[in-house]
Amino acid sequence: MSVMTYNGAAIIAMAGKDCVGIAADRRLGVQLTTIATDFPKIFQMQPKLFVGLAGLGTDVQTLKNLLEFRMNLYKLKEERDMSPKVLSHMLGKILYSKRFGPYFVEPIVAGLDESNKPFLSTMDLIGATSEEKDFVVSGTCTGNMFGMCESLYKPNMEAEELFETLAQALLSSVDRDAVSGWGGIVHIITKEGVLTKELKGRQD
Amino acid sequence: MSMFGMEPLVIGDDILDIGSRKAVDRYCGNKAQIGLSQDLLMGRPGAFDVPNVKDPALYCSSHFRSTCGTGDAGQEIKFAKGTTTLAFKFNGGIIVSVDSRATQGNYISSQTVKKVIEMNPYLLGTMAGGAADCSYWERRLNLQCRMYELRNGRRITVAAASKLLAGTMASYRGYGLSMGTMITGWDETGPQLYYVDDDGTRLKGKMFSVGSGSTFAYGVLDNYYREDLTLEEAIDLGKRAIYHATHRDAASGGINNLYHVTKDGWVKIHAIDVNDMHYEFEEEKRNEMSS
Repeated sequence: MSVMTYNGAAIIAMAGKDCVGIAADRRLGVQLTTIATDFPKIFQMQPKLFVGLAGLGTDVQTLKNLLEFRMNLYKLKEERDMSPKVLSHMLGKILYSKRFGPYFVEPIVAGLDESNKPFLSTMDLIGATSEEKDFVVSGTCTGNMFGMCESLYKPNMEAEELFETLAQALLSSVDRDAVSGWGGIVHIITKEGVLTKELKGRQD
Repeated sequence: MSMFGMEPLVIGDDILDIGSRKAVDRYCGNKAQIGLSQDLLMGRPGAFDVPNVKDPALYCSSHFRSTCGTGDAGQEIKFAKGTTTLAFKFNGGIIVSVDSRATQGNYISSQTVKKVIEMNPYLLGTMAGGAADCSYWERRLNLQCRMYELRNGRRITVAAASKLLAGTMASYRGYGLSMGTMITGWDETGPQLYYVDDDGTRLKGKMFSVGSGSTFAYGVLDNYYREDLTLEEAIDLGKRAIYHATHRDAASGGINNLYHVTKDGWVKIHAIDVNDMHYEFEEEKRNEMSS
């Protein structure tokens, strides 16, 4: 089995009208055996900045800790919050620094910048970054997720509708992937705050 | 041309003729030769077209394996497989319980596969491993059982049926077939359960579970199995064992199809979505905790 499909993951992030949503499945498996159904893959780095990490479980956890460390250092030196764009570029550099022995993770950065405009970016495991205006996906069933997003996505959705769209896109995609699923979690970030909901998904 | 000295298979224009009278003539030349009837030709090595290479067995088993789990990771073609099936004998007959998911690599190709093959009203076969391999050879077995019935005026025993299948599998050993099946039925010696697999293994037993999720099912089965289970308890056990396997094994899921084999033949008991079972059992656990 490929190292990128060893633990299984599915993450989608979408932009709406002055809001962003990011959703992930909850499974941690070892190849075909499911070990946990509450494994976190999305991490809140700042009140309006989330990072989703899809790939090898151990690297997800390591990279999350490394990112937190680097963010804290930045905040101490610069005495200001990190903007999503800066985080995205920093993450890209961290990944490229391990070019010949990479972290097996394909991250997604989702957040609102200083003017509360949505920011979405994704990158491959060696840091090739791509910023998008509509949606980004990462994980073991990207084919499924792209299909669902392309058909369900509409620009300028309000928070309620964005939640519904994200949830449906994620659940339908993971139901066709053996190594992801077992529930879901969605975070919707608006300028008022963050709304987090757990999804009731298929447990097989 | 002698009956047993067949010519080497010529690959080319005869791909549509396998099983036809023309193929029979080509193989045995003289139609008056007794014993080499048409149905005995299929299932014999050489009766299928194989790739035109020096060692067809090696080529097939390295490029067309339909192995469980990730054994086919290096192959271009990934066949549909992945499963949990189980069957156990108890005082009221036999319970056969299966899931319904088929996977190709990580992709779930179907959640509605019929893994219990209803061969005839008194014989059931289960499917685990390569979906095509199981369904083809078990339908083939059905044909052979029917021929036996017509020729001998009585039903075939489960022991004989499973032996026919095991013999076929043994003759295709090394070609990369993947099949782990349980042949079960009720004949004049009572309820019978046999496990047959792709290398020709044939085992008689009281309880078997086959497939990528079998280890999870065994855990539940071994814990609660008794010979004197009532029918309701046996059905519940079969249902629970499959549910636990589908929850933990990524390659199992979908719908639980459960059958009961009695002396008057088999009966399909239920087809329940395993996701619904999850919430039913969760509710049950909650009630137990609070009481």
